[in-house]
Amino acid sequence: MRGLHVYVVLALAVFILASGNRLNEYVMHVAIIAMFYAMMAASWSLLSGYAGLFSLGHMAFASLGGYTSALLVQWSGVPVPVGMAAAVVLTALGGGAIGWVCLRMSGPYLAIFTLALSEILRIGLSTESQVTAGMAGLHTTPLFHSRSDLPYYYTAFAMLVASLAIMGGIVHSRWGLFFRAIREDEQAAAASGVDVVRFKITAFAVASSFAGLAGAFYAHYIGILTPSLGSLDLMGLVVAMTIIGGLESIPAAVGGAAGVETLQEVLRSYAQWRLVLFGVILLVVMRFARNGLLAPLWHQLVCVKVGGLPRLGRHVPQEESRL
Amino acid sequence: MTRDAALVEGKTLCKRFGGIVAVDAVEFAVQDGDLIGLIGPNGSGKTTLVNLLTGHLAPDSGHAFLRGRRMTGLPASDFAAQGVGRTFQLTQLFRRMTVLENMLVPGLTRPGSTRGAVERRARTYLTFLNLAHLEHLSAKNLSGGQQKLLELGRALMLEPAILFLDEPFAGVHPHLRDEIITRIQELHTAGRTFVVVDHDMESILRIARRLVVMARGRKIADGPPAQVRADQGVLTAYAGV
Repeated sequence: MRGLHVYVVLALAVFILASGNRLNEYVMHVAIIAMFYAMMAASWSLLSGYAGLFSLGHMAFASLGGYTSALLVQWSGVPVPVGMAAAVVLTALGGGAIGWVCLRMSGPYLAIFTLALSEILRIGLSTESQVTAGMAGLHTTPLFHSRSDLPYYYTAFAMLVASLAIMGGIVHSRWGLFFRAIREDEQAAAASGVDVVRFKITAFAVASSFAGLAGAFYAHYIGILTPSLGSLDLMGLVVAMTIIGGLESIPAAVGGAAGVETLQEVLRSYAQWRLVLFGVILLVVMRFARNGLLAPLWHQLVCVKVGGLPRLGRHVPQEESRL
Repeated sequence: MTRDAALVEGKTLCKRFGGIVAVDAVEFAVQDGDLIGLIGPNGSGKTTLVNLLTGHLAPDSGHAFLRGRRMTGLPASDFAAQGVGRTFQLTQLFRRMTVLENMLVPGLTRPGSTRGAVERRARTYLTFLNLAHLEHLSAKNLSGGQQKLLELGRALMLEPAILFLDEPFAGVHPHLRDEIITRIQELHTAGRTFVVVDHDMESILRIARRLVVMARGRKIADGPPAQVRADQGVLTAYAGV
């Protein structure tokens, strides 16, 4: 017997694949952007939710990946997938380096450090307009020469599925256990034999590489790349998506990204007021549902076995546990 | 590895925090099979000494050795990988992870370990520590004494050559304290080496084969419990007699 979550995910995957050629251009664009944000939110959940490294520089790595791939393709003429692969490698190395620099930082110090780094990159990209075209935007080579966005839709979906499979594999492996142990107590993790330095650097490198991949895809999809991809506004949006979904659950973070992106479009007529609404939702979630809105739902889906009942017996009431 | 070397040895270990000398040129050696009680008044440097001997602090001078191999400067995870287990003065569990997951973390750090084998070993230790029925509970939901036992179990998952227990009886109900003492004695009989730090003289005297007394960062006595208890310097420094 499998958990209900497996069937829900499969049904969603079939729906996304089957509905591709029925979507109009606008909805397809929204879906592609939602999948981009889903990759960002999932990888940020891996870094901040699992490893406890609250970085505000995650969008900067998407920006770095985007510019790396776009400029490499433009300068050397390599195929776009090669440029995207280079972006993954560079952002992984960059993420690892930042992880090493930030080894002794946590909480607000890490957040401010990565935010500053992100701003340095954004301003650097804006200033170096001879190379990056600055705020005017860098025209990028498209990944597909197609009239329709359908190839992008399926590529984004394939990348999202592959990324989630890899991240899921990581969080369910011993690495995931070590990430969580470091998040809970670095000193105790070290006393348990966990190489804290190595795993903190690894967490940064892995999460940054997914951000780099997402950013590179975004650059070759959207066609024009500006430094604002790495802005604090968009980082805030990724944070909101992840926290509203569930910071410590990758599937919930993905759901949060899809939900918030959809809500953004539905509420588009309210202009800036929708951001106020997201802020209010974020505050309410952080006050009343610290696990996010979707993480408890996901947990229930995992617990429900198809044809069976939730495994309530696994949870021993606290009172009974005390001697 | 040096033949006949002590299992763990600190040579002229010194550690200062600002103007305070927490550990002052301390010589400390633990042989295989020892069960040492490390005692002293508050602020005497016991926990700092344990931190120096387990890699959680680097000494300002002096060196820590494990079976003759110099370990100074290595991270605590390397000490753990070489068989140095420890618990903390204030229990430090992975609070939002389950009891079983707490046990799996050290087990899975060992090279060549498989999840199935580590889970079996974890359950064996949980049964030994009377925690098996709580394996799916978050560690934060355990009582104080159970948390101490879980921390001991987590250290045991390293299959350590030596275990440093920092105040294992502090704030623990007498019933659970007796249980912890019994487990320590059983593990010692099975060949484990222990250094137990505590203020609870009664408990320490029930288990220790050797007592080391610290005061103001210095080691002031080291020997069999009966001899140390009669030491006038110890009585003055420790009990104020």
